[in-house]
Amino acid sequence: METRQQGATLFSAILVLIATLVVIQLWLVAAALDALLARETSVLVPTAAAAVVLFALNAGLLWSVRSFDKRLREWGPRG
Amino acid sequence: MTRWQKDFPVRWDEDNYMTRRELAKFLTLGSGLLAGVNVLIAFIGLTRDVPATPAIAIARADDVAPGGSVLFRYPTEEDPCILIRDRSGRLDAFSQVCTHLSCAVVHRPDEQTLACPCHNGSFSAVDGRPLAGPPTRRLPRILIEQRGDDLVATGVEV
Repeated sequence: METRQQGATLFSAILVLIATLVVIQLWLVAAALDALLARETSVLVPTAAAAVVLFALNAGLLWSVRSFDKRLREWGPRG
Repeated sequence: MTRWQKDFPVRWDEDNYMTRRELAKFLTLGSGLLAGVNVLIAFIGLTRDVPATPAIAIARADDVAPGGSVLFRYPTEEDPCILIRDRSGRLDAFSQVCTHLSCAVVHRPDEQTLACPCHNGSFSAVDGRPLAGPPTRRLPRILIEQRGDDLVATGVEV
């Protein structure tokens, strides 16, 4: 497999991972809203913390892709 | 060109494509937004005032026959509740709002349950835990005391 194709596969995997984490965050928002309406305040802090951690993971994944792109631009195309 | 292609022409050269990197950025932005919403929900939940639970006389003790029930509102006029007496004479009170989608539950003394007719949910009339159907959370219990002939609601146990 070529390096370019490997990169494309890796980026697709990262994209799917980011999308999956966003879906989990949607579920967390629904659970937090449900707990808020049921006055179950004990659930709210863990869900908020988990949502922030997932966002940090997403930001980290995006940052890794961008830094990879940046390095690629600096090195230039390699024949 | 087929008929549907004439009716719904798509000019691919004028279409705006979104790259995978743009999609990743968009998803991460959405992720940040969702995290913010979650933090906001936690902030609202932790800072909002818990409604006061004053002691309120809700019924006279002899108003509720064995196997019967009485409706009342507690702690505010917007919170419907149900007071039930089982066949043995034991008194219990619960919120009447189903924890699934907020329909009113009704007492079924023969089964010792509180049933929600909207989606066939069912709760125990002894401790309020869900027994069947979509509800997953128990009904909040209303704490009651007998003071003389009066039954007095004194608090809510979620």
